[in-house]
Amino acid sequence: MADEPVLEVSGLSVDYVMDQGNVRAVDDVSFTVGRGEFLGIVGESGCGKSTLLFAVAQLLAPPAEVAAGSVTFGGNNLVGLTDGQLSAIRWRDMSVVMQSAMNALNPVKSIGAQFKDVMRAHGKVPDRDIAARSAEVLQMVGIDPVHLRSYPHQLSGGMRQRSMIAMALLFTPDLVIMDEPTSALDVVAQRSLMVQIKELQLRFGFAVIFVTHDMSLISHFSDRLMVMYAGQVDEIGATRTIFDRPLHPYTQGLLEAFPSIRGPRVPLRGIPGSPPDLARVPSGCRFRPRCPYAVDKCAEVAPELYPLDEALVRCVRREDGSLAS
Amino acid sequence: MTAELNGADAPEGGLLRAEHLTRHFKIGGALSRRTLHAVDDVNFTIGEREIVALAGESGSGKSTIARVLARIYKPTSGEVFFEGKPLTSVTSRQEQLRYSGLVPMVFQDPFASINPVYRVQHGVLRCLKLHRPSLSAAQRLEEAARVFEVVGLNPDMLQRFPYELSGGQRQRVGFAQALAMKPRLILADEPVSMLDVSIRIGLLNLMAKLRDEEGVSILYITHDIASARYVADRLIVMYAGQIAETGPIEDVLTHPRHPYTQLLLSAVPDPRAPLSVAGETDRGEPPRVIDPTPGCRFRWRCPLAIDTCAQVTPELAELRPNHSAACHVAQNSPEEVKAFSA
Amino acid sequence: MAMPVSGVPTETPATQAPELGSGRALGRIGRAVRLSRKATIGSVLLLIFALVALFPGVIAHDSPTQDAYPARLGISAAHLLGTNTYGQDLFAQLVYGTRNVLIIAFTVGLATTGIAVLIGVAGAYLGGTWDSSLNVLTDVLLVIPLFPLLIVIAAYAHGGTTVVLIAAITLTSWSYTARQLRAQALTLRNRDFLEAARVRGERRLYVIVVEVIPTMTSLIVASFLTNALYAVLFASSLQFIGLGDPNTVSWGTTLYWAQNNAALQTGEPLWAIVPGALIAILGAAFALLNYAFDEIGNPALRPVRKTRQKKGAKQRG
Repeated sequence: MADEPVLEVSGLSVDYVMDQGNVRAVDDVSFTVGRGEFLGIVGESGCGKSTLLFAVAQLLAPPAEVAAGSVTFGGNNLVGLTDGQLSAIRWRDMSVVMQSAMNALNPVKSIGAQFKDVMRAHGKVPDRDIAARSAEVLQMVGIDPVHLRSYPHQLSGGMRQRSMIAMALLFTPDLVIMDEPTSALDVVAQRSLMVQIKELQLRFGFAVIFVTHDMSLISHFSDRLMVMYAGQVDEIGATRTIFDRPLHPYTQGLLEAFPSIRGPRVPLRGIPGSPPDLARVPSGCRFRPRCPYAVDKCAEVAPELYPLDEALVRCVRREDGSLAS
Repeated sequence: MTAELNGADAPEGGLLRAEHLTRHFKIGGALSRRTLHAVDDVNFTIGEREIVALAGESGSGKSTIARVLARIYKPTSGEVFFEGKPLTSVTSRQEQLRYSGLVPMVFQDPFASINPVYRVQHGVLRCLKLHRPSLSAAQRLEEAARVFEVVGLNPDMLQRFPYELSGGQRQRVGFAQALAMKPRLILADEPVSMLDVSIRIGLLNLMAKLRDEEGVSILYITHDIASARYVADRLIVMYAGQIAETGPIEDVLTHPRHPYTQLLLSAVPDPRAPLSVAGETDRGEPPRVIDPTPGCRFRWRCPLAIDTCAQVTPELAELRPNHSAACHVAQNSPEEVKAFSA
Repeated sequence: MAMPVSGVPTETPATQAPELGSGRALGRIGRAVRLSRKATIGSVLLLIFALVALFPGVIAHDSPTQDAYPARLGISAAHLLGTNTYGQDLFAQLVYGTRNVLIIAFTVGLATTGIAVLIGVAGAYLGGTWDSSLNVLTDVLLVIPLFPLLIVIAAYAHGGTTVVLIAAITLTSWSYTARQLRAQALTLRNRDFLEAARVRGERRLYVIVVEVIPTMTSLIVASFLTNALYAVLFASSLQFIGLGDPNTVSWGTTLYWAQNNAALQTGEPLWAIVPGALIAILGAAFALLNYAFDEIGNPALRPVRKTRQKKGAKQRG
């Protein structure tokens, strides 16, 4: 019972249905999230990570739609459930923290009023319990409950993000999904927020899916890491494993793209080129045009995820052993 | 130190010199008398062929400094000297045009800094038309193609529309526009913050190339110390509108004397190092400096604060060769004091 | 890094919607018109009206004003809409009247939008005392009730010839559009590309005309269409109540004469109904085009067509 994963995504594909034809933004993605586990999803713009997140949370809006696969949460497949059925799960068992609090928070309502709205929307909670719980979650994230009366613009960026996280924890869900919640913050505030999230996670035991483009940020906090590129999962495994021995050339490239403040100053190259247009993906491996190790086979065979060294990697040269670490 | 560190000694006078630069903003309604001290009594120089990183959190005043240097704002007091002449003497249209060509600005948001209704060549051609009027139309097109190549863009892209370009490519267009005017100093306001990480390196390499091959100086404004280290020669750390520390970048990063610099360094995520627990309780709440009292503005967050810190505003004092910090505690102790261990 | 609006990814170039740009604009507009049902119907209607206005003689073979025929004839092959009390062919009258209506619509549309663009955008961009003064001017005219003012002006001019009508309607209509355009220009004012233009040394007038206004084309086109629509309604109304020149051939004046002769009560319903219907149809044409341009300019408003084949996939798993 304890090993049952809290979320299981299987073969999920998401298409954008356009006049000119469908564009597959998420291609056959599968992963699980265990109870209390912190999964980081890393990738750059256009890799599909945000679309994946929206698909898992069942927040896709037309023209995006789930083309295939399932999202199993609490034993039910969320794909195909009606809004009514979903609302029983939303916020109570699974909640979402958006990228920018200024976009997600209502600017004309106080924080306390918004907490109240959320609690009313997702359960019958007596008024005095609402006030008590609101104060409690704010304290959990280190904000003085007096700010229940504040409006979003009166709070600093860091505090706004913290109140978003507090809002997500109102019903102590089993899974909290976060879409780059720290990207608008400065480095000290960012680090402080990450530490806070981790601490809350360890205290309350909820699982976290954390989507970001900044690999170094997540390195100390996630248990497992999933690297996405052009709509597919390219590598997935324990965080330390991936950082110490990145298998996929893209992951290697990403890790090398972070200049360090310690150690020798070396010239870096980044990854030349840019991600492919999802409407016209290259034949074979999608990373091939930018890969320093590409060979002819890479254009012919579209690789599948292959288990190697406690991780899963999508690379033909890793699979056939022609690329040694 | 390695040979890459050009201009590690701040030259006397230099290309650009800011003296007691101050910029305040009135806030509140018409009847309010409150003043926001965005920049207070800032002194620095930028030499030839050097990249100076201006680092700080939001609200530190770094963007305001850039806008004063770009002549979008006038200083409330203090003076900026460019090539030895004060900016207040730049009055006629011709002088203004000349200055804006020599000190252009590259903006942060690649999606908002190019006009979406025109082809990408529009901005570059306008820059050429305004600043190099001796060129004919054909020469302008040639020159536009040339600067595109310098920044690593295919000249065919001149005919594209902005929406067809990626964020990284648009930022290169921004640099191309600046280059077209034959600048001496480029004000780069967080040029890579909104780009994907693997694309940033390309732009940073471009900036280094511009310094080395085109002889351009760059004021690189950022909140990312790691990228500053990668590309800059000198570092200025700002806090709450004042300079906290300044010096050759390697020296500042290996021997940070100001507690704020130490805090910043401890917060930079580095996957190769174990998670530092220093400064964990610090929330990263930078102050809004409204009608400040004398004293160090960092004192509320500083574990080393002493009485003097609340009474006397610290001034920059040299603690190591060419490396100054504005901190009473650091200035009064012969050895380095660690407020936050990196 | 922006949150997707209606699920459209912001990073993939292929799926990003282009803004109207010079040169490619016509091509894009053409394609958009063909794709949108509203735009197609609206443009077709407008085209028909325009053709009728340009070549009235081709369509109607009778003179609109000559009372040469027997009065009060019904519908027949010779007189498609019959004749009125004065023996004039109604069809011919309405066909020739189209020209007057369209001239008023387009002239007022252009003039109103032109003034509004200048005042609204300049005020927003220049700010300060310029903006304040222009604002005062706009607000004063905005507050005065439109229709009574029109009546006063038209009456003062001793019956409105077409020129007077155009002038009066333009004068009373530009302020609303100026407000709207100013509001949009204000949101654009802090955009980086405008600051970039200023920093590279462009003069302010240049920035307003070359950098700001082209990015507002969809709102400007929408304003033009709205103003044209209202011009038709206002002009016809003025003519109907007798403040137009009763000798002009126009739909409103036809209505006026119909009303004068109690057409509905005396068994000549077409005289009153058809001009009214035409006004409504022309108005609808402008409105349809307006909706369509909204969708062209802002793809988030486009109706999403769900394709049939995906239904099976959705239910799978």
